[in-house]
Amino acid sequence: MAVTEPSVIASDVHVTYRALGGRRNALESRTERTDRMFGRVTKHVGSVTDVPAVRGVSFVVHKGESVGVIGRNGSGKSTLLRAIAGLIPIASGQIYVGGEVSLLGVNAALVSDLSGERNIMLGGLAQGLTRKQVRAQRDAIAEFADIGEFVHLPMKTYSSGMAARLRFAISAAVTPDVLIIDEALATGDAEFRERSAERVEQIRQDAGTVFLVSHSLSSIRQGCTRALWLDGGVLRQDGPVDEVCDAYEADVARRRAARKEKA
Amino acid sequence: MIEVEVDGPAARVDDPMTSGEEAAELATRYGLTRIDRNPSFTEYVRRLWRRRAFVVELAKARAYRRHQSNYLGQLWAVLDPLLLAGSYFLIFGLLLRTDRGVDNFIGFLTVGIFIYSFIAATTTSGAKSITGNQNLIRGVRFPRAALPVSVAMSEILTLLPALAVLLVILLVTGERLTWKLALLPASVVVMFVFCIGLSLLAARAVASWRDAANFIPTGVRLMRYASGVMFSIAAYAGHGLIGTLMQYQPVAVYLELVRSCLLAETAMTPTLWAFAGGWALVFVGAGIVLFWRAEHRYGGD
Repeated sequence: MAVTEPSVIASDVHVTYRALGGRRNALESRTERTDRMFGRVTKHVGSVTDVPAVRGVSFVVHKGESVGVIGRNGSGKSTLLRAIAGLIPIASGQIYVGGEVSLLGVNAALVSDLSGERNIMLGGLAQGLTRKQVRAQRDAIAEFADIGEFVHLPMKTYSSGMAARLRFAISAAVTPDVLIIDEALATGDAEFRERSAERVEQIRQDAGTVFLVSHSLSSIRQGCTRALWLDGGVLRQDGPVDEVCDAYEADVARRRAARKEKA
Repeated sequence: MIEVEVDGPAARVDDPMTSGEEAAELATRYGLTRIDRNPSFTEYVRRLWRRRAFVVELAKARAYRRHQSNYLGQLWAVLDPLLLAGSYFLIFGLLLRTDRGVDNFIGFLTVGIFIYSFIAATTTSGAKSITGNQNLIRGVRFPRAALPVSVAMSEILTLLPALAVLLVILLVTGERLTWKLALLPASVVVMFVFCIGLSLLAARAVASWRDAANFIPTGVRLMRYASGVMFSIAAYAGHGLIGTLMQYQPVAVYLELVRSCLLAETAMTPTLWAFAGGWALVFVGAGIVLFWRAEHRYGGD
């Protein structure tokens, strides 16, 4: 068995979101009189709810692996990957990463009342490029995003597809050691999907380690060697991509059958 | 020699790492760094310095964006302070007459208003710089101090046209500009350093405790009256304990410092410069340290 170098280590990672201003039963009327009196006041004061999004996930990923992350909506996929990218704090546990991590997503939202041009500069500099490097890549980025003359207009005038394409093009301008792709390939028309898939493949070959979050199992099977299945914030299965995807599909089918039976 | 296996299931170190020590040991062996912890303070400052081009770009973008959606556009950078000075003059110069102890009241008032607006705007926008930029924070990794620092910088960029307006107003009101004017750039730099600290502190306070944002408008209003923006502290609060405290608190010091550069009647003393420099160092030092200590928590909530 070949010895490989780890690039991401997660040990018992927990991520908790703090939601302010929401409280269970805030709309319910209370019965006891004193309760009602105090309740009226207290239910609007200091309402903080901790929402556990990831609950004790551990794994080791090596250089050269591409890992698909699957699971239902709200299972903690995006949250886990943002924590790995160091973009959101974790409640407990440890995450170790070798080299630069970058999250490639359509949500790397920049400043919507600035022009595309300025957003390219800002995004590039934020990712650690120099002014010179951004200038050299500016036209290529605009061309890749295919936004034409709109590059001089504020981003708020863009269609959602155009904005998403530009954001993708900006974040794809750097080549990190660990690349995290969050549903980015689902954006845009068929032609853009194809081009972005090519660019991702290129980055993947340079990057060494890739994480891919997607609801499309076929693109995960195609692009990944390994898969993590998250369910309710817990790692349900971790293994070779086909094995995990098969198990996930079986589970989805089982749920569907159960739902039909009920109805 | 480490072999890297590309594609195909790589050899995995025994199963899930539940023990933290095991993970730490493996990470040390292969030189991985912990991403969920703060870098050391010196490393943090170094990273911030490396992103200085980003800070400048962000500041320019903010300053530009402010007046972008008006027909008169960037002309407002000059019109805004003029309108402000006019309205304050109506109230404090003609109605309330708070000009006791001041010769050139229009000059005195205008300097006060322009400089105070700058400090107030830095505080208000600095406070929102983390909570209002969650998209950027959750999208790209960079030292978060870049945000409050760029706020202070963009406010300085807005102050520059206002200073040009100020010089014109002073000449019109018959103020004789002296050699002290040469020290104006230095006073603006010292004030800028102070404002970086102020912005960092405000950002940290609001990011850690959201409700702090509700105190900022009150604080800004209170300071406006406690800093001698539209009256002379010496003439109204006297030289007792309260008068002295009011005179040497940072905001009053910076108002006095800029006035001493521009107005012949305001004395420029070494004590004033010492206080200005001292406050700047205290604020920027405390600001960067306190901000850095919560660095890994800013993307939360």
